[in-house]
Amino acid sequence: MANVKTRKAPWKVGVLFSQSGLTAIVERVQLNGVMLAIEELNERGGILGREIVPVLYDPASKAGRYEFLSERLLGSDGVNVIFGCYMSSSRKEVLPVVERRNGLLFYPTLYEGFEYSANVIYGGAVPNQNSVPLASFIFGNYGNRLYLVGSDYIYPRESNRVMRHIVRQAQGEVVGEEYLPLDASKKMMEKIVSDIKSRRPDAIFSTVVGDGTVKLYQAYKDAGLDPRSMPIASLTTSEAEVMSMGPEVAEGHITAAPYFNTLETPASTAFVGRYQRKFGGEGREVTGCCEAAYFQTHMFAQALKRAGTQDTETLRKALLGAEFDAPQGTVRIDPDNSHTYLHTRIAKVDREGRFVIEREVANAIKPDPYLVYPALNDWRLGLRRATLEDSQHTAFNE
Amino acid sequence: MQKGHILKSLRSLRAMVIHPPDNQGQELLAQLVRIGCKTETLWPAPKQFFDDVDLVFLEVSETVLRMAPSSLADSGMDRPTLVALTGYENPSVLQGLLDLQPDSVITKPLRPYGVLTSVVMARRIWLERKRLQARVAKLNVKIQNQQTLNRAKVVLMKLYNISEEEAYRRIRQQAMSKRATTVDIARSIIHAADILGDARSKNGGQ
Repeated sequence: MANVKTRKAPWKVGVLFSQSGLTAIVERVQLNGVMLAIEELNERGGILGREIVPVLYDPASKAGRYEFLSERLLGSDGVNVIFGCYMSSSRKEVLPVVERRNGLLFYPTLYEGFEYSANVIYGGAVPNQNSVPLASFIFGNYGNRLYLVGSDYIYPRESNRVMRHIVRQAQGEVVGEEYLPLDASKKMMEKIVSDIKSRRPDAIFSTVVGDGTVKLYQAYKDAGLDPRSMPIASLTTSEAEVMSMGPEVAEGHITAAPYFNTLETPASTAFVGRYQRKFGGEGREVTGCCEAAYFQTHMFAQALKRAGTQDTETLRKALLGAEFDAPQGTVRIDPDNSHTYLHTRIAKVDREGRFVIEREVANAIKPDPYLVYPALNDWRLGLRRATLEDSQHTAFNE
Repeated sequence: MQKGHILKSLRSLRAMVIHPPDNQGQELLAQLVRIGCKTETLWPAPKQFFDDVDLVFLEVSETVLRMAPSSLADSGMDRPTLVALTGYENPSVLQGLLDLQPDSVITKPLRPYGVLTSVVMARRIWLERKRLQARVAKLNVKIQNQQTLNRAKVVLMKLYNISEEEAYRRIRQQAMSKRATTVDIARSIIHAADILGDARSKNGGQ
């Protein structure tokens, strides 16, 4: 015990992302985002002279593992803060644990909204922040007859409810709506794609997640469909999925997200550069969810510095209303609901498999997790052409 | 009222929280703001109730119930949707709930989870009850009208020695020529028969 006092004890934080299984493709990159931020913080001498030490577990995309491991983190590992979770089902497992033990979960993932817990800081987009901008881009450029396809769990079902409503406002039409199991076979994908082919929508709205994404886009390509006239528009297909499907399959398809690694601001370029140096490669697998994991870790550190303690109440006070110059631009934790003001960008995959940002909203959008029916004509969600000069991104520094 | 309408109208609901300004009250208030209801708070409970409120949250404990505004205790058609907040499950509080007949209950300690579900369920039950109350009132009137018609028919049948169909036909004919409802005519007939009956029994009195 005397030893601990002379060498200042580190701040321990739990990290809970799947490194194997169906959603590892996304969660692995989120894990990297957290690890990169922790490394940066420690290189600068830690927080108040104390190092941040991650306690890592791999829930392997398995139901039940998130609950078990979060219990272990908050219980026997003596951790108070967890960064983790991708699918809503995993967050719902961890939620009762952090509430019972009064810990804090940083959740760096887009999700369907309709949740608030004082023990969670939500860092990803809710439907009012991304669905409307994506829909208005699609309606403006392709048409308003949509085919909805998603993985069969709560996020796609809820996203599609919102999308159906937006389509109705645009006097458009939903020509098909299908759900696939998370481990859908190639055959199932082909069946859906042939249905799409016969119904001829103007665009396909996909909330297929994980490995299924690659299969869906591949089946689309194999069927000889053309993204120039009927693209797949998605909230969940990120750089990680695009890398794994290859540029020839992904080209021409569209995604809406708060951040793309092709964003050419000093803060973004520096972030991708540091990621590259740490993990090798070209940093092309950096995603919006990775960026969220990264800025949430920094926001935690910023709050910890102010609070001087990992005590949940004190930390929460320091977090609510806090701002941070993230790679995507300035973000802010909304004190009303613990979600985050986020930017929204629409990007199209080019020939090299890079997301070219075509549109963005002018200002970070306030999260409204309890909005039942987002309005298509909400002028705050208006898109502008993405131009570097207009953006007021502050370079991230210490 | 459609089920979808309940969700659509959540943000136009005017909510009133009648609860002491403690942590639980604050927690509820914050969650209602997140949900997007226009929310006001009031404490102590008012004697009289306002008619410009759609949704009332009221703490129910044995003492608070006694203070409940009288207009709330009556689950009549004009009462706003009522959600009770309870901290105890003892028989006196439960009896309070039975007396007050709230549309939904939230147990304390209150968590943000479940508030929205309680509101939605309460609105559904309230709307359903309102619909049923209106239906019952309508059926009551219908039954009374039917009785009136029947009595009038009997009067005519006795008076003119005619069939029930013929009695009804005459009532309808009168109604059409006088531009009145059959029930109005029936009432007049019963009324007239009463007066004539009185007069006759007096005249022929022993």
